[in-house]
Amino acid sequence: MANATHSAVAPAPAIGVGPTARRLLRGLEVLVALAVVVALWQAASVAVGNSTLLPSPLRVLHAWIDLLHADLREDILASLLHLGLGYALGVAVGLLLAAVSTRFAVLEAIIDPLVELLRPISAIAWIPLAILMFGISAKVPVFLIFYASVFPIFVNTVAGVKQVDPRLVHAAEMLGASSRMILTHVVMPAALPYVLAGARLSLGVAWMAMVAAELTGSDAGLGWRLFWYQEFFAMDKVMAVILTIGVLGYLFDTLLRALQARITRWSPDSAVDETR
Amino acid sequence: MTSRRAFLPLAFFTVAILVWQTAVVHYGQRATYPYPMGVVDAAVRTIEDGSLVASTSNSLLRVLIGFAIGAACGIPLGVLMGFVRPIGRAVSPIVDSLRSIAPIAWIPMALLWLGIRGNAALFIVTYAAFFPFVLNAAQGARLIDRNLVNAARALGASRALVVRSVVLPSALPAILTGARVSMAFAWGSIIAAELAMGIKVTSGGSGAVGLGQLMVSTLYVRRDVNGLVLYMIVIGIISLCIDLAMRRLQRSLTPWRT
Amino acid sequence: MSGKIDAQSLSKTYVSARSGERVEALRDVSFSVAPHEFVSIVGPSGCGKSTLLALVAGFVAPTSGRVLADGVPITGPDPRRGVMFQDYALFPWRTVLGNVEFGPLARGATREAMREIAHRYIDLVGLKGFEQRYPHELSGGMRQRCALARLLANEPEVWLMDEPLAAVDLQTRNILQDELLRLWGDGDDAAQRRAVLFVTHGIDEAVYLSDRVLVLGRRPGRIKETVDIDLARPRRGLRNSAAAGRYIDYIWNLIRDEAARAIVEETA
Repeated sequence: MANATHSAVAPAPAIGVGPTARRLLRGLEVLVALAVVVALWQAASVAVGNSTLLPSPLRVLHAWIDLLHADLREDILASLLHLGLGYALGVAVGLLLAAVSTRFAVLEAIIDPLVELLRPISAIAWIPLAILMFGISAKVPVFLIFYASVFPIFVNTVAGVKQVDPRLVHAAEMLGASSRMILTHVVMPAALPYVLAGARLSLGVAWMAMVAAELTGSDAGLGWRLFWYQEFFAMDKVMAVILTIGVLGYLFDTLLRALQARITRWSPDSAVDETR
Repeated sequence: MTSRRAFLPLAFFTVAILVWQTAVVHYGQRATYPYPMGVVDAAVRTIEDGSLVASTSNSLLRVLIGFAIGAACGIPLGVLMGFVRPIGRAVSPIVDSLRSIAPIAWIPMALLWLGIRGNAALFIVTYAAFFPFVLNAAQGARLIDRNLVNAARALGASRALVVRSVVLPSALPAILTGARVSMAFAWGSIIAAELAMGIKVTSGGSGAVGLGQLMVSTLYVRRDVNGLVLYMIVIGIISLCIDLAMRRLQRSLTPWRT
Repeated sequence: MSGKIDAQSLSKTYVSARSGERVEALRDVSFSVAPHEFVSIVGPSGCGKSTLLALVAGFVAPTSGRVLADGVPITGPDPRRGVMFQDYALFPWRTVLGNVEFGPLARGATREAMREIAHRYIDLVGLKGFEQRYPHELSGGMRQRCALARLLANEPEVWLMDEPLAAVDLQTRNILQDELLRLWGDGDDAAQRRAVLFVTHGIDEAVYLSDRVLVLGRRPGRIKETVDIDLARPRRGLRNSAAAGRYIDYIWNLIRDEAARAIVEETA
């Protein structure tokens, strides 16, 4: 400890503080930081002086509370519906493609290049075509979210399956496991951390696709609501929606991260994360 | 990839394209569905009248500027956050919470603050490009071996020299990874921003037309499906090129990494 | 010739997929392991020891030759030929109990039978109280014991071990060697013991544990010599006798030159 060469781990405070207390301290730090941000924001809004250009935190808070009693609830519902449907479909298809591609080399030879070909074409690029195909409707965000979700889960699941230590498979064979048992009791648990990492990444891109798609191609949801208020120049409401989007997105990611940690508590290492 | 392994997908796709082309033509659906030759026609047309090249360059220019600004702001902040732990702990909740707001959600605000002349799009791109730099630079700085720093200090290096000769090179691989991710995000965000502006901003005169805006006018004005598919392919090709170029850059600047 | 395990003219040549280069790992290796015999395989780096074990275990097919178990050619891995891997290959997502239960589970045991067998062997190897730990929470020595318990839970007739004690420190290794001997039946009637094929780098270890040592040469891998270890059992605790020392020196002299060359020639 005295000779730590990395500062990768924050040194514990000198007083005897246990892990829960440390977590509380960390939470306190976050609160303080956020308070600083709000204070800076308040100062900036006062300096600008124009409540349309930069509404103060208080105004935004009021707007937010107003909205919560009014449109916000149905917007959130619409967005969650888009997300839920698109994400579920995307993950299902991604997992299916990954399973099939790792099992049958012939299919892998076709699926892999197809995925590599489509992956650079982001969901965003599909927006105009989707609007043309589906018109301005809920189908646009659902389709786009679905499309965006497929790739990270596919790539990560394939990587997860491929990195399964062959020695573990050998061990299972040696212990008398059937191929089916090897699949369910060795391959799947070994690949799980990667699958979960892929699911998290998929959620991230799905969230972004949701906002973009709703903004441009739908008539409901948080993304659409952003421009709705913008047209009335109700910037405090716009900021309220932006904050909602941020908070919800953060919440979902945290949930998934907690799930990931819980399920893979047997593993000290982490898996593929392309955004870092 | 050996020639045998490349054969199957190549054959499959060639056949698929041929089938696609003949099916659309045979069923007389050329007006409604995109088809290979139609896409080629659109390509020839938009290259000849200059719209494709002009709009793509406009978009790319914005990406580059946003990328540069994002790097200039993000790298120092990231390195600072990673190297000086108290600052890192203080600032990271702010960074994390801002990061969870998708860049395009800021479009309404950006339009209001910066107008529609294209600076709004630039703001979005910069915002998108900023965070990967901060995150990766911070991680790179965090994992710097303190012994190296101490060695440099013991040899009499000033603070500035330590930063220049130890901190930055150590953090370089992570920074380059951040650059690669940032470029990818930036490219995605510019298209999104331009699309949003094209679709939602009804008043005329929007400054330089980027690829996103070209797509919107093709969608609503020309209603040209083939053009849309063409632009999608262009977007994909550019994504690929960007990624390949960044990987090559990364490899050549940090040859000691696997 | 019908031992528990018969290797007949085993040869294995690897062809590199990338360069097409052919590497002859083993050439014409033949030997037998009797039903209650402890046989070690030693040799310099790159002599094909681990390949040989993989062939006997059935993970890899020989280029030519065959392996017989009880007179029947083998076709693949089998619970009757239990294997202990160099890095234990414990399932990281299963607890100690989960790992040891795996064999009985794979063979269709009921839940109660599974539990009972697993607990019995966990106690036997001295891991009582650690049933709910995950492998990454265990020390190297404890992982080895867990792997051993997992192996024994299937009650295999043959134990195939690939440098099982390579990953622990010397003191732990000595202790584990004694435990291995105890579990194997060094102090019991010979009829209680199983056939063991034990690959190791440590000549002292081979001499201490085995009835017979096969000394392999490298490039290509082949049997240089078979050394009968004529030390009485029980041997547990009797490490450094003069007789043992003579065996160790003898075997070391057989491989010393090749070992020196291996340092330069072998890549990581």
